[in-house]
Amino acid sequence: MTDTMKKLIATFLVMLGLSAHSLAATDNPVEQVRETSRQIMDVLKQENGKNTKQVRQQVEALAVPQFDFQRMTALAVGLGWRQASPAQQSALAQQFQNLLVRTYSSTMTRFKNAQIDIQPNATMGNSGREATVKSSVSLPGNDKGPVAVDYTLYKTPQGWKVFNVSVEGASLVTVYRNQFNQEINKNGVDGLIKMLQDKNAAIPASK
Amino acid sequence: MTCTRHALRSGLLVASLLLAGCASPHPSTPQDPYESFNRSMYAFNDKADRWVIKPAAQGYRAITPGPFRTAVSNFFDNFKDVYSAANNLLQAEPEKAVNDIMRVALNSTFGLFGLIDIATPAGLKNNKTSLGDTFAHWGWKNSNYLVLPFFGPSTVRDGLGLGVSLGINGPEHLVYHNSNEAIAFYGMYGVNTRARYLDFDDSLATAAIDPYTYLRDGFLQLRARQLGLPNPTQSDDVNIDELVNAPSTASAPAGEAAPPAVDGSHPEASAAAHAAASAAQ
Repeated sequence: MTDTMKKLIATFLVMLGLSAHSLAATDNPVEQVRETSRQIMDVLKQENGKNTKQVRQQVEALAVPQFDFQRMTALAVGLGWRQASPAQQSALAQQFQNLLVRTYSSTMTRFKNAQIDIQPNATMGNSGREATVKSSVSLPGNDKGPVAVDYTLYKTPQGWKVFNVSVEGASLVTVYRNQFNQEINKNGVDGLIKMLQDKNAAIPASK
Repeated sequence: MTCTRHALRSGLLVASLLLAGCASPHPSTPQDPYESFNRSMYAFNDKADRWVIKPAAQGYRAITPGPFRTAVSNFFDNFKDVYSAANNLLQAEPEKAVNDIMRVALNSTFGLFGLIDIATPAGLKNNKTSLGDTFAHWGWKNSNYLVLPFFGPSTVRDGLGLGVSLGINGPEHLVYHNSNEAIAFYGMYGVNTRARYLDFDDSLATAAIDPYTYLRDGFLQLRARQLGLPNPTQSDDVNIDELVNAPSTASAPAGEAAPPAVDGSHPEASAAAHAAASAAQ
């Protein structure tokens, strides 16, 4: 395998575990990412092989409120989002949320010994309403060095919410766009909803 | 060795002919005109992995301790540093090239023929670069997606770079002397590398709708970032604010709805959306 291939796989590893990062509500996106990371790592460290299920549930409870899945799904779908009725949009967002939560919650415990460094300065965009917080994640025993994980947040009346996560430049959200559009072009928005439902039903619930 | 090189050369030739033959004039994804070829190569790799490589890697991991596998990785990495030094020179990066040469010198001697990476803790950065990077450095920025046999996701540029690097008489010829030994060398490399990623197989299956597309788009985004290029997989620059705030155009079942006109390029529209959004807050 090439180095790039390794990087790619390392990317998937990290995204599997850590996009479930969450953020406690504060006015500062960096502090929010840092605080939520800390809380999640505290919970993850208590995993001892017997309490895996509870640890996952606790992490999910910390992480999920930090995300705006509606906005995230819109970003994943791209222009096709406007073809969807409001009801279809919420169905899509619900299914996409289930898919992401299942994907990442099944591997998060592999990252319990990860070292997370959050960069103190966020990159602001969109007249200060959007912020990208950069972090680097190192795993002990991974000699390939730390992996860059970026969170893009935007300001809502309820505080900052994450709607995009990138690992080494690959977005865990927009990586779905072509896959989603393949399905929308074939079977329409309802086809995509159905496909996601089937997929989520097929994945065994995490133990 | 010559026969290995001949095989490589003819392999490259056959591959380029095949590619030329099946390039789609209207690819559904601009970066993937060879999708039909790539998908069959992906299927081949998947089969080879399922029936040979993955079981071998599982057996290998079962019988070897972790430090042993790290030593094997370091051993192969040491050869890559030689190529990295050459490519850093080709990219006119003499400092990085010297760094790589120092790494090889240190690891090959005090690091017991490369089995121990003492250069990294000693402060010599692992800044590996490849012939594909060299091509990109001198202007070959965009390259179509190409799935290589065994090596997996790549581009035409990076695949060519890899083919040339494998074909030249590099330092690994100190280790193997005939085709069988070469197969053992690369087989060991492949199995050792594969063993590191065994735990993550299910994750890709869980995450992806279409694993081929997922890997392709993830790889292309990653590679573009490494080379400092804009994200190649999204040509339509989606304005997320417009997308979320605009009222849905769909009233009929969306399958029949015509795609709405793309107006992401209207700065006034987006400014208006922003103004409306800020006024609402």
